[in-house]
Amino acid sequence: MRALSYPAFTATAFQSRLAYRNQVWSGVFGELVFMFARIAIWASVFGAVGSATVDGVSLPQMITYALLAGPVLYWDYSRLLRDLGTAVKSGDVSVYLLKPLQYPAYLLANHVGNFLFELLTVIVPVAVIVALAVGLVPPASLFHGLAFLGYWTLSFAMLFLLTAILGLAAFWLMTTDSLDWFFNAIMTLLSGGLVPLWFFPGWLAAIAGHLPFAWVSYYPAAVYIGQLSVGQTLIYFGIGFVWAAILTLFLIWLWSRARDRLIVQGG
Amino acid sequence: MARLHRVIPALVHTYIKSKTEYPGAMVLGWLSQFAAYGSMYTAISLILARFGSLGGWLWPEMALLLAFHLLAYSLGASLSFVQFREMEDKVRMGTVDAILVKPVSPWVFIVFSGLNIGYAGHILLAVGLMAWSLTQVDVAWTPQLALFFLGCLVSASMIVAATMTMIGATALVWVKSNHLYQIFFGFWELARYPLNIFPLPLQVLMLTFAPLAFLAFAPVAATLCKPVPLIGDFAPVAALVAGPFCALLAIAHWRYCLRNYQGAGG
Repeated sequence: MRALSYPAFTATAFQSRLAYRNQVWSGVFGELVFMFARIAIWASVFGAVGSATVDGVSLPQMITYALLAGPVLYWDYSRLLRDLGTAVKSGDVSVYLLKPLQYPAYLLANHVGNFLFELLTVIVPVAVIVALAVGLVPPASLFHGLAFLGYWTLSFAMLFLLTAILGLAAFWLMTTDSLDWFFNAIMTLLSGGLVPLWFFPGWLAAIAGHLPFAWVSYYPAAVYIGQLSVGQTLIYFGIGFVWAAILTLFLIWLWSRARDRLIVQGG
Repeated sequence: MARLHRVIPALVHTYIKSKTEYPGAMVLGWLSQFAAYGSMYTAISLILARFGSLGGWLWPEMALLLAFHLLAYSLGASLSFVQFREMEDKVRMGTVDAILVKPVSPWVFIVFSGLNIGYAGHILLAVGLMAWSLTQVDVAWTPQLALFFLGCLVSASMIVAATMTMIGATALVWVKSNHLYQIFFGFWELARYPLNIFPLPLQVLMLTFAPLAFLAFAPVAATLCKPVPLIGDFAPVAALVAGPFCALLAIAHWRYCLRNYQGAGG
């Protein structure tokens, strides 16, 4: 199948989400609660310290970090895991194997559509409400703003690759339920989505800062608020790019193995 | 009523037997949930390690709050969450009708035919964290205080089971109600932090219409003799009464929805 055909899957995924509009307002509510919990936590601890900045970061910057590292960058990967798990369990995956397409590329196209839907209907409204209620800061500089866009793309690719690799384990385990929880455990701590790595103890920050999970939330959000210098921004983008390449090759290899051991349970 | 002592164990036994058919998946599920909550609590502990306290709560006190929150939730949700999350599908498929004609209370059948042993990982983590935190906090334990603490735990579990029941029952009338769980879990997320860090409108909401301040904060604050915003000295009594009050509301709501159920599939 030609690469130009895949955007049709993106459009279909986007349109199919339009059918479940009540999920939008409950999604907005869920993200707003998430954000206001984070805002309350950071406002409380910054207030207790009694200083305008902590580790060179002000409260408005921390709130902006929380928005970017959470709702904006940490998209609903569970949907992808669930889709993969269901396809394997129900046997629907065999239908995709018969089609002239690359299943991982189909998944990517499909979840770009889901991401765009959530971005427009949930994340942008939440960002506007947070901006109006407590205020957000602009990028640290034009360079950091432009670099953030590159990091955002890298972040999406990294989360997709990690989730797809994990999801393919369903070909061996026949379930993705426990994997979802395990992945959630890793991401909560090591992606920097909840607590930025500069608040970690030095040894833990050093480890987490070189694992691919940090490129999902920590680096993009840290670049936006200017926590990384120009040189560091470029170096860490390069390291993240290498991680993405390694994960892509691993995904391709894993998919070739998974295809050969497919056991259809239903259908 | 006399049959219940035979029916309930039989329902629970059947469900547990079906779950233990796949012991590997079951244990993996427990471990993964243990890891997920453990990771979240580690992240919170990192914030406290860096800043000292959160809303005036030190790490051992926060650990007790988190443990109480998880234990009360697990106990209540094991009786209700998965069971009532499936109500929407049952209504849509028409299988509620089959439950309604069984010679046992529909609520009893739904709750005990799906008694969720999947919360074992939650309970293990919560009990472990609670055991550690209780040795670290400064509390002068008396028999009365221990009874109060246990009573609050039961009351908090009742809040969870009652809320889940009400959301599930709503599907009998609205057909769709699962999106309300997302709202519940929003407040549930807030309930694991000290109430005093939130703005006043949210504090009012969590002490009234969405009373999840009584899920963990009010009972633990009362045990630790910490101030509770807005209700102050009334907190211990309110923490004990909140669960039974929610249960009464849930009974009324459940009966109303059953009376107004008209079916949606079949």
